Amino acid sequence: MDFSASYRDAGGATSGHNYELEVTVSGRIDPETGMVIDLKDLKELMEREVEARFDHRSLSDDTPYFRDRPPTPETFAALIFSLLDAALPKGSLHRIRLSPTAQLSVEVTR
Amino acid sequence: MIRVIRRYDFSAAHVLARPDWSPERNRNVYGKCANPAGHGHNYRIEIAIEGELDPKTGRMLPEGQLDEAVRRRVLRELDGRFLNRDVPAFAATVPTAENIARHIWDTVAPDVSPARLVGVRLIETRNNSVEYAGDEELA
Repeated sequence: MDFSASYRDAGGATSGHNYELEVTVSGRIDPETGMVIDLKDLKELMEREVEARFDHRSLSDDTPYFRDRPPTPETFAALIFSLLDAALPKGSLHRIRLSPTAQLSVEVTR
Repeated sequence: MIRVIRRYDFSAAHVLARPDWSPERNRNVYGKCANPAGHGHNYRIEIAIEGELDPKTGRMLPEGQLDEAVRRRVLRELDGRFLNRDVPAFAATVPTAENIARHIWDTVAPDVSPARLVGVRLIETRNNSVEYAGDEELA
């Protein structure tokens, strides 16, 4: 999924990115549906947990998560992993990859 | 576990041929890549590091440390060069994608502390890329 957000860096300057987020889940194939996870459910969950919280928001000013830590790609990726991990069936989140720019990605695994 | 991946681009020419082999043997092994006149690629490097986040900065490495190391030690050496002729590391080593990836690993690895280098991916063309994750036997 793609979303856009801004943040204030350590020097107080405001910047922003079009973030690209890739989410990988793993698990057994459900014998009835033939799916590991219903992608519609995953999409809705990503919209609820990530897009609704961060899209077109300031990470620094509009969310409570960066009061005690700087909003870097690393901390933001770790936060998204924990939000999705808590919302998905236990243990099914395998990896997230957050790319703030085409030159940088941050991957988080368990 | 957090992994940071940075991407860099450079362009270079190379020839795949061993100076100690005959032209016929080089052509047999390396095909059209053995043309002595050289050919070029737009290379992309992906550097992957793992480590702890500095709790103060929220970063794995201080801003600019990896970029500075790659620009100063890798891009300056390889970008716009004829690798076989202009880069000492490839005077006696065929600059295959595998060997270039390993050379980049060896060059960058000392400069990513306190993180550690976990992967160098060298994309040579849309269809060919090499991933090197370090190998003590080969290094």
